[in-house]
Amino acid sequence: MTENENANPKAEPGASAAAAGTTAPMLSVRGVSKTYGAVRALDDASLDLGTGEILGLCGHNGAGKSTLVKILTGQVRPDGGEIVMQGESVEFRTPLDSQAKGLAIVDQELALAPDLSVEENLFLGNFDLSLLRRPGAVRRRARDLLQRIGLRVDPRSPVSALSIGERQLIEIARLVGRDARVLILDEPTATLSENEIERVFAVVRELVREGRSTIFVSHRLDEVLDLCDRVTVLRDGRVVSTRSSADIGHRQELIKMMIGKELPPPQRSDAARVTAGAGAAISGLRVPPAVVDFSQDVKGGQIVGLTGQIGSGTSEVLRALAGLEPDARGEFTLDGKAVRLGSPAAALGAGVAFASNDRKGEGLFLEKSVEENLVATRLRALSRGGFIRGRELKATARRLVEFVKVDPRRIDDTVEHFSGGNQQKVFLGRCLDRPDVKLLLLDEPTRGVDVAGRAEIHQLIRQAALAGVAVLFASTELDEILDLSDHVVTMFGGRIVASLAREDTNAELISADMTMSHERGEVAS
Amino acid sequence: MSTDVATAPTGPGPLRTPTRNSRETAIQGVFYGAIALFAALIVFGAIDTHGFLTMTNVRAILSSVAFVGMVAVGTALIMISGNLFSLAVGSTAAAAAMVFLALLPHGIVLAFVVTLLMGVVVGAIQGFLVGGIGANTIIVTIGAAGLIQGVALWASKGATILPPKGDTSFTWLNGHIFTFAVPIYILFGTVVVLDQYLRRSRFGRQLKLVGENIEAARAAGIRTAWVVIGAFCIAGFLFAFAGLELGAFNESGSLLIEGTQTYDAIAAAVVGGIAITGGRGSVWQALGGAILIAMISDILLLRGYSEGIQILVKGVVVFAVVVLARLNRMRAES
Repeated sequence: MTENENANPKAEPGASAAAAGTTAPMLSVRGVSKTYGAVRALDDASLDLGTGEILGLCGHNGAGKSTLVKILTGQVRPDGGEIVMQGESVEFRTPLDSQAKGLAIVDQELALAPDLSVEENLFLGNFDLSLLRRPGAVRRRARDLLQRIGLRVDPRSPVSALSIGERQLIEIARLVGRDARVLILDEPTATLSENEIERVFAVVRELVREGRSTIFVSHRLDEVLDLCDRVTVLRDGRVVSTRSSADIGHRQELIKMMIGKELPPPQRSDAARVTAGAGAAISGLRVPPAVVDFSQDVKGGQIVGLTGQIGSGTSEVLRALAGLEPDARGEFTLDGKAVRLGSPAAALGAGVAFASNDRKGEGLFLEKSVEENLVATRLRALSRGGFIRGRELKATARRLVEFVKVDPRRIDDTVEHFSGGNQQKVFLGRCLDRPDVKLLLLDEPTRGVDVAGRAEIHQLIRQAALAGVAVLFASTELDEILDLSDHVVTMFGGRIVASLAREDTNAELISADMTMSHERGEVAS
Repeated sequence: MSTDVATAPTGPGPLRTPTRNSRETAIQGVFYGAIALFAALIVFGAIDTHGFLTMTNVRAILSSVAFVGMVAVGTALIMISGNLFSLAVGSTAAAAAMVFLALLPHGIVLAFVVTLLMGVVVGAIQGFLVGGIGANTIIVTIGAAGLIQGVALWASKGATILPPKGDTSFTWLNGHIFTFAVPIYILFGTVVVLDQYLRRSRFGRQLKLVGENIEAARAAGIRTAWVVIGAFCIAGFLFAFAGLELGAFNESGSLLIEGTQTYDAIAAAVVGGIAITGGRGSVWQALGGAILIAMISDILLLRGYSEGIQILVKGVVVFAVVVLARLNRMRAES
């Protein structure tokens, strides 16, 4: 039927054909590719979605899931390939094109207007309603929609009065009101409690029975296997396999499909790097509501990798230590000295350097030159009596530009048009090669960076650790965690679920810890 | 051009076109556009307007620039810090004129010090509200304008403040050195010193970083609140200085001095090409904008147009510059 089966001989064509129905599929993606700069985000991907089918879409970060979703919703145009809906080739130039063909998305960031009523939200962006609508008819329609999703709320009450799960259902109802034929649910359960998840799933099953189809994108593998008829797994932009849920059977099997062949732990020759006693000690860190409890030591010269799904709190841990979370509480010492939380300037003064995951918003000064960006965090050291020591500033910038391997001839260019990798190197250059930095905090250090750039950045981070700096970095990319860390900390729901030396863990273990399906109810309530 | 830059290789390799960025191109474009307009105006004014190219007229233009230039430079600092502009320019200046004249009986030194200190304190409070607790600049400065006017009216009981009879301690402010008025020298001196300070000081660097991206500046450990407060303090100082000079020039101080100063200051900074979004610009640009606007007003005045037309033309110039800058930016990005 498709090349997917070739990739995985264990697939059962019979099972999938039965689930997909015997008629033409509702939606077919055929050989779709998308390249961003040097990164091949989606490579000749194909999948079929049957009428009345729920298809799971799984894969680690960077596997291409979100690119595929963006293509289907008209936010991104593919470089090549074809999308076919009910036998008709379609092209989505804008999100409106996609909506007009009956595709609709619910993602974890809800697109509701919280101060408007349930009723008004239900018809937001619903263009077939007449301008001079009669309130009575609208209310009847709203009641009808609410009934169909089994939600008993007053259509006149504001959305802000509803729980997150109820809001999700309102969003689904809105798409049903638009008569969407294909629902794309992108991590819809990330913020829901178990009861709410059950309600959402019941509604989805009901909608599918009516002949609609659903694509369910999720990291929560137990849920995927529970809800979906078939699961398509993406890895490095390619569809590696499509199998029925019954055939996959268990989460462990799905994890194996997602990670493929595992590489052995990288050889680390720098055994002498850990200098005992020095480094960062974090104890009982809380950042309401994202981090419940976090304690971890990072020794000088050690690289600790922090991982977990989106919303697990890894990012907030780093931000709190950098002084960027005003509500953070807990004990944080660096080389035995207490560091005050809540002030970025105090953190920097104590020797904490932070590189945000939001390179453009909270990292670089895009319209400033490489030189200005490289010295932005060391202006104090480079000035005397409030005045800049120009010659030393230039010398420092030149040294750093060599250090991070950016073309020195571009030192006066603004970083706005640099590639992601070069931007990230300039950004990191700020925190590197300075004697006063004792703890380096890196949030997603290689986000949006191609393979070559990634290797160079990893080298820079290892170099910093060799020089005795304690490194704590967060990444949602498993390969990066495995490749870079001496020690791996896995978080879920704001808590540490595992803290293991790199030698004692592997991709499968970390994946299972990250998804934590078995303990979900306990944490999410 | 920009695509070349985006795909340029990481390592050493041949550099293609000189990699000036779009922003700089845009600013340069506006800069050259403004210069062309400048030149056209001078030529047009010289040939067509009787009395434009006389020394008397040059003095008159510069005299009006002396005051507007000062407040434009203050506005430029606030703009570069990424906080738009102050709407309390005129109120601060008018209050400064009143304070200065009212304190003259106690000696000119005290009057000077207290007036300028008032400007700094008023600026610091607004800077704290904007930079320290993140209040909106427009609302803070409108509120400040109302407060200053209220206090000034209450303290003066609505009367115009006049200098003590026979007091000549301040008249040197209206004097001339080599045919130009003293405030003109003060303005150019201020611009030279401030420009050098911003170029060479840590504060100057931080001001531009905060103005471009305050989140990134905070994450980089820059004490952003202090930088914004600093910008507002210097601006308040300059607003008060301009008011003091105006009070001395008019030999009377009341809220009427305010006039269109707030608008003129913003217009001069914008016409001078300072990015309203912050992060870029120099005090020289504000001065250039002020001179341009003064020349346009002067030509209209010499040709006998009413004040209404003068204000209208100023508005048109501001619009033209804004549109030009936007077009240039789009051209550079395409």
